[in-house]
Amino acid sequence: MEVIGYISQGFSVALTPVNLTWCFVGVFLGTVIGILPGLGPAATIAMLLPLTFRMEPTGAVIMLAGIYYGSKYGGSTTSILLNVPGESASVVTCFDGYQMAKRGRGGPALGIAAIASFVAGTVGVLGLMLVAPPLAKFALTFSSPEYFALMCLGLGMVVLLAGESMTKALLAMLVGLWLAGMGTDLFTATSRFTFGNAELLDGIDFVVVAIGVFALGEVLSNLEGREGTQMLPVPKGLRNLMPTWQDMKDCRFAFVNGSLVGFVIGVLPGAGSTIASFISYGIEKAVSKRPEKFGTGVPEGVAAPEGANNAETGGAMVPLLTLGIPGSGTTAILLAAFILWGLRPGPLMIQDNPTLFWGLVASMYIGNVMLLVLNLPLVPLFAQILRLPAYVLYPAIFGLSVVGVYSVSSSLFDVWMLAVFGLLGYGMRRLDYPAAPLILGFVLGDSMERALRQSLMMSQGDLSILVSRPISATMLFLTVLILIAPLFRKANAWRVRAIT
Amino acid sequence: MKSRSRTLIIGLVLAAAAFPAHSQGFTPSKPIEFYTHTGPGGGGDVFARAISAAMDKEKLLPVRMQVINKTGGGGATAMAFLVNEKKGDTHTIAVYTGLWITNPLMRKEAKVTLKDMTPLVGLVREPAMIVVKSDAPYKTLKDFIDAAKQKPGQLKQSAGSIGARDWVLRQLLMTNTGANWAYISFPGGGERIAALLGGHVDMMLVEPQEAGEHIRAGNMRVIAQVTDTRLAAFPDIPTIKESGFDIPNVPQVRGVVGPPGIPPEVVAYYEDLFARFIKTPSWQKYLQDNLFEDGFMRSAELARFFDQHAVTTRAILKEGGVKVVR
Repeated sequence: MEVIGYISQGFSVALTPVNLTWCFVGVFLGTVIGILPGLGPAATIAMLLPLTFRMEPTGAVIMLAGIYYGSKYGGSTTSILLNVPGESASVVTCFDGYQMAKRGRGGPALGIAAIASFVAGTVGVLGLMLVAPPLAKFALTFSSPEYFALMCLGLGMVVLLAGESMTKALLAMLVGLWLAGMGTDLFTATSRFTFGNAELLDGIDFVVVAIGVFALGEVLSNLEGREGTQMLPVPKGLRNLMPTWQDMKDCRFAFVNGSLVGFVIGVLPGAGSTIASFISYGIEKAVSKRPEKFGTGVPEGVAAPEGANNAETGGAMVPLLTLGIPGSGTTAILLAAFILWGLRPGPLMIQDNPTLFWGLVASMYIGNVMLLVLNLPLVPLFAQILRLPAYVLYPAIFGLSVVGVYSVSSSLFDVWMLAVFGLLGYGMRRLDYPAAPLILGFVLGDSMERALRQSLMMSQGDLSILVSRPISATMLFLTVLILIAPLFRKANAWRVRAIT
Repeated sequence: MKSRSRTLIIGLVLAAAAFPAHSQGFTPSKPIEFYTHTGPGGGGDVFARAISAAMDKEKLLPVRMQVINKTGGGGATAMAFLVNEKKGDTHTIAVYTGLWITNPLMRKEAKVTLKDMTPLVGLVREPAMIVVKSDAPYKTLKDFIDAAKQKPGQLKQSAGSIGARDWVLRQLLMTNTGANWAYISFPGGGERIAALLGGHVDMMLVEPQEAGEHIRAGNMRVIAQVTDTRLAAFPDIPTIKESGFDIPNVPQVRGVVGPPGIPPEVVAYYEDLFARFIKTPSWQKYLQDNLFEDGFMRSAELARFFDQHAVTTRAILKEGGVKVVR
């Protein structure tokens, strides 16, 4: 067990007062920016990068990584309390988190999110420590056909996200896919649906769509009717602000599910935490004994996506540290940082800098504990936000949404787009169209189309490439199963009715 | 107008004579806004922040240099912003990349070109390495081209978007040799390398720093370098010309431009500032760490480079079947 020797050496690095301080600074900053919608970890790390040039690299990487995984903790806060998803990965947390808050269980939802984050974050680090090199090799067997199949699997989740009407869910998903197609086509450099607007050449930013449809749509529909001045119920007493044992028991499987799904998908350079959170939510609902309750505020519906979102960080570090391959925007900046510190990132980085790698791994264990200690006491505090009267709360959400969107691109055009999507979200609520499938289509559409076209370029137009590769064929088969499962259930229901 | 500009020139000459070594009367009085079209962490952004940090460290500026991200439209939003909103603003500069030349040629939505701006300085040329997987049968670029000729369209290159440097180089090589291979676009650099290391594609262009590490680990083999002369870090690898393919070198360029309508003395100030800047140890170290080549050009030379580069790129795009809009 040479790992034990390495990791104890790592802890001796991470536990020095200087590195402990940097770790705390990182996770604290991460929590703060995670809570603020718009400003994400990628932007924060890029802005702090120049300050780290004079730091010792180990301390610097401990701090920057702290910002990265710390931001995932904070991301759930606004999703749960205000229905404002700060980044794409926290959209799924809105589904059940916000419903819990609406029913007076905002505190327990936040608590569950923090605990799920801690469990999954720790599992992610364990994975990074124990299985990084073989897993990185496995990730390389994934290419465009496998990614296409993975995206299909993700899109298949639509049948689980649909509310009462499957037709409406599919329509919403199609609109999402269409929105994802806007912008510049990567393969031919032609513009699609830009209406002659340079602002639309890069497509629409995710934050604009998600905050518009979720947060603004919710605010607008709450402004209807007289009950708008009512406050959301928050029961008094600390016990009502923390998750109960029953909640924890309900989440047992979700912790495991979120951790594993998040970590494995995180390792794949072309996937990302959003699809991880959707898939773990889908799995959770598929195996649940009470699937019909999902979307009305069940704790496992918060725990699964939050876990996936946090375990993804450990997973994303695997290709970065073992192969020098960044899989996301944030890891790409970390890679740039390594170069600026003179660390020569690449396949030999762990071998060349064992102190740095094991110090980082150890610091991630410590950082996750710090985050739990930091976040749990904040839960009762944040839950108080819901006590604000609606005439304060809704304008505040409105302001937060606009600032969040503006901070991403400093573009007023995006603010107008936000207004458009707010109205869309409101209209969808009025007409009973679910918003989740729209977001699902929007998030996956781009990568799905890309993966399909890349696959067909690889095979010179031969579609069989999608089913002739075992991993891709398996995932496509699973997708088909998911898609036809509701039909079986329906057929069963008819048969039962026919007999009685 | 004519006489006025003459007076101005005479005045400038006099001013230059009076203060020979230093800037002609302009010093920034408030923070300089340094725009980049990429989001935080993108190539242009990291570049801008490295410059800003080095300027700060070397204390070359009396004011701060603040990096601002103006994303969207593959640079088109930032370019339009500089021309429409920042005209004549002496405290605004921006990073340009090769994209600022090619994008307006392909996109009719991009209404502004580099000709509408004030060229200040060219800074770096980024070399690239043509690599294959280490267990691939190709030892030289010629091996690869020959194999591509035998199986037209079956070999694959993982790369960026249409019009990017990888694409231009492929077009030039294919026209020169008559070979033909597939070009598979991936938006992220990480995915491109993963596709090569996983054996899903056959060839790609990587940055020299990255290539160096993968060679050390035995994952990749460099078959040619996209440079004018061999880099010191790769003394044994031939350039494309040395490999026997007479195509122009395609540099990936970065530097600094200003909005339109900037007075000549301000242009001179920035030229001098960066002329001193590139000699500083911080900048030299940055070039070395990234294995970039020094591509310093002053304003007049840079203007000529933009014109010439636009002409060659337009021709290459047309030949590659891309619709050129201006």
